[in-house]
Amino acid sequence: MTEHTTTAAAFRATLARDLLIAYKRKNDIVNPFMFFLIVATLFPIGISPDPQRLGEIAAGVLWISALLAAMLSMDNLYRADYEDGSLEQLLLSPHPLYFMVLAKNISHWLVSGLPVVLASPLIAYMLNLPADAYFALFMTLLLGTPVLSLLGSIGVALTVGLGSRGLILAVITLPMSVPVLIAGTMAVQQTHNGAPLTGYLAILGAMLLVSITLAPLASAAALRISIN
Amino acid sequence: MWQWFFKLGSPKWFYELSGKWLPWLVAAMSLLLVIGITWALLFVPPDYQQGNTIRIMYIHVPFASISLAFFPLMAVAGTITLVWRMKLADMVAKTAAPLGAWFTALALISGSIWGSDIWGTWWIWDGRLTSMLLQFFLLVGVISLRSALEDTDAAAKACAVLSIVGCINVFVIKYSVDWWNTLHQPSSPIGMAGDSANGPEIWVPLVIMIVAVYLFFAVSLILSTRNEILQRERRSKWVQELLASA
Amino acid sequence: MLTADGLFCERDDRILFQELSFRLGEGEVLQVQGSNGSGKTTLLRILCGLHDGYEGEIRWYGEAIADQEENFFASLLYIGHRVGVNKVLTPLENLRWGCSLQQQVSDSTILAALAELGLHGFEESQCFTLSAGQQQRVALARLLINPARLWILDEPFTTLDSDGVAQLENLLRQHAQSGGSVLVTTHHKLSLASLEILSLD
Repeated sequence: MTEHTTTAAAFRATLARDLLIAYKRKNDIVNPFMFFLIVATLFPIGISPDPQRLGEIAAGVLWISALLAAMLSMDNLYRADYEDGSLEQLLLSPHPLYFMVLAKNISHWLVSGLPVVLASPLIAYMLNLPADAYFALFMTLLLGTPVLSLLGSIGVALTVGLGSRGLILAVITLPMSVPVLIAGTMAVQQTHNGAPLTGYLAILGAMLLVSITLAPLASAAALRISIN
Repeated sequence: MWQWFFKLGSPKWFYELSGKWLPWLVAAMSLLLVIGITWALLFVPPDYQQGNTIRIMYIHVPFASISLAFFPLMAVAGTITLVWRMKLADMVAKTAAPLGAWFTALALISGSIWGSDIWGTWWIWDGRLTSMLLQFFLLVGVISLRSALEDTDAAAKACAVLSIVGCINVFVIKYSVDWWNTLHQPSSPIGMAGDSANGPEIWVPLVIMIVAVYLFFAVSLILSTRNEILQRERRSKWVQELLASA
Repeated sequence: MLTADGLFCERDDRILFQELSFRLGEGEVLQVQGSNGSGKTTLLRILCGLHDGYEGEIRWYGEAIADQEENFFASLLYIGHRVGVNKVLTPLENLRWGCSLQQQVSDSTILAALAELGLHGFEESQCFTLSAGQQQRVALARLLINPARLWILDEPFTTLDSDGVAQLENLLRQHAQSGGSVLVTTHHKLSLASLEILSLD
């Protein structure tokens, strides 16, 4: 007789599966990253190549590009699973859906969020971000982009059953991301002006903790509704 | 208590009860609106700084204050939909979203007109205006999700989840935007209400207008909910009888 | 043992079924029949707990499913219209995940099951290179691996060839003989000893 799995094992299996799928579909990794680079490139072209002005807006540009890249990549999160029936299997697993959703969210962030965070110093250099703001930018993106993935997951879970949903997803998710955007860009600007970074990191850390606790619950409820 | 609660969930019961209340609400609303508007336009003394522009306050403040009530209302209705599966709660939530968008838009427009005079510009990235604008976007999100989902039941639950998440978010947005705003603009522009509302000749008509607009909101919500009830219960016996007798 | 009592389901203002009651005991196979659009799939999804737009009671060994979801899901194997096979992954990888949601399985068990269903040599090919029937077989391999007592299968015969049909019928027979229960929708005529038929028309 075979043994039942623990929730931890099911969590690991789901995480490993999603990472494997992303590895096999290289587009999932490359596309959000390229999108991030391209959007960030459009700002100097659209606004001004003047290093002084670019340095002032660099943090905002990077954050907005990261936000849009996260949104763009969101669609992959549940769609293929919805279409091929894997999502039903996930919902019928004897483990709490919270952990399964969390595993998928973590995998999504590792694939689409982390590369953006890692590439951010390079783009920051190209946008002439003041040298003393690099650390703040990197740390806030590191703490903030997982929140974007977790929040975006709710929007995707709500709309996964819809045929065409491009704009709805943006209308639902983008306003929700505003607090993260504010905390992230403020941290970079204010530490450049000499304020301590720890307070901002604490706020972003708190946002991350709250969204890790609550967002997967909302995503799980939304998935149950969408699959109905 | 519980019996009353579940009775409230019956669309038929709500339809009949609201039918009895409606004339009284409309009468009170009209009376207060007439008194409030006349008072505000003709008898309130011009502000020593803003002159006659201050009169916009009597429209803007009531609309702005009630706009903040929509997400909490929709979140409560959404919770009831999810937990007790009460159809009436979803009908209220469904009609509240577009109403909320209209009220928020009116608050934004009236604020913008007011601002054009006292700030010299139609739009500034003031904390209140910005968070109001974001709330408007969130409401549009709820409305478009509702219209995109064909199945009534699925739409009800999906919008309930989104309203609850949105309600939490509206508060977080409000605080973060205020914080963002104070750091960007250390000297806040002229306070919109509050500062000027010192004497009773200023605030009494304001209170009247606020109550009148709340009543207007209640009447609009009840009317559109009644409409929704008739539409969804069109196959039920009591609606058929109602239509036959009308 | 699965019992349903007074099920009622309405979709888009159309009543799919009402006063529907049945009992599926150990060792029994229940075939759900009905014309297109009669609510077969909806019924199966309701019984799995995927769809909650119904009235009535569903019990698993006398207890409501909502009160023992974890227990019920651990003894349920559902294969729907969409079989739950990811096209990018190989059959082996698909089953590793699909089975690991319920129990620990070794690769050798999975490979043996795949071989038995005629997928020997395809274990490492990505599923989009397989035919619909082969993908169906990948999903059906879970029947060999998973010890779940209740099988709920939605049109499992549609894409199978005649060998596959015979093999699946055999699997259903064995499962029933060993005390398991099967709920299946199909237009195919099943030749099983313990077969009951539930018509939705």
